[in-house]
Amino acid sequence: MSTAAPSNERLFSPPAAACAWLWPGLGHIVLGEKRRGLLIMFGVLFLFFSGLLIGGFDAVDRVDDRLWFLAQALCGPIAFVADFINQSVIKDPNVLASFDETRTTGLARVNEIGTLFIALAGLMNLTVIIDALHFAPKDSGRDGSNAASTPRRRSEDQAA
Amino acid sequence: MMFPLLLGYLPFVVPLHFFNTWWYVLLVPLAFGIAVIYKATRLARLEDFWRQVIIMTTQIILAMIGLAIALTVLVQLVIPRLPVG
Repeated sequence: MSTAAPSNERLFSPPAAACAWLWPGLGHIVLGEKRRGLLIMFGVLFLFFSGLLIGGFDAVDRVDDRLWFLAQALCGPIAFVADFINQSVIKDPNVLASFDETRTTGLARVNEIGTLFIALAGLMNLTVIIDALHFAPKDSGRDGSNAASTPRRRSEDQAA
Repeated sequence: MMFPLLLGYLPFVVPLHFFNTWWYVLLVPLAFGIAVIYKATRLARLEDFWRQVIIMTTQIILAMIGLAIALTVLVQLVIPRLPVG
């Protein structure tokens, strides 16, 4: 009688990585890890929208904060949409006539932290993209059939 | 007096200038978000996910507090006592 050995093979999946960039968590959902993908989506979008709430749309600025935007762009198209809104709406004095520029521009720590939140969301999404690109299928515990009482890291699974 | 600061506030358009004073409170949601993403990619099993997230969030916050204390001691106490010249 033979038993199936746990597989340590990693899938190389560029389409999943592309999906992970298009929308945070989508790469893992495409790979069949729905709950994991939803948790990733929650985490990245939580950081992204927290940053937008703290610093306003001014926290995403492709023109004035180009280096920060390189990290923020890893969140996917939503970062480009936020930048587009910033450039075409927030920075346009004709659109928000009732708000003077000093109110819609993030200053000091509020701007720094808002920018940092979104940049960290992008950098964390980079780890998610890499994880989706070289995806290690979980051989147990997904359906609870072989679940241990304590969570294990993948490296521990490979060592076992 | 937070209320006057919120008059005319429009979410996502007007930044939360209130946090210029209380910026260090934002370490909590920052650590929480990082912990959620990290644990979602690293844990092989997700049954104990939220407990692991809370543990990692606490670890990050305590590490930052420890670093802040160490740097304060270094800058305020150690460096001023170093001999000049």
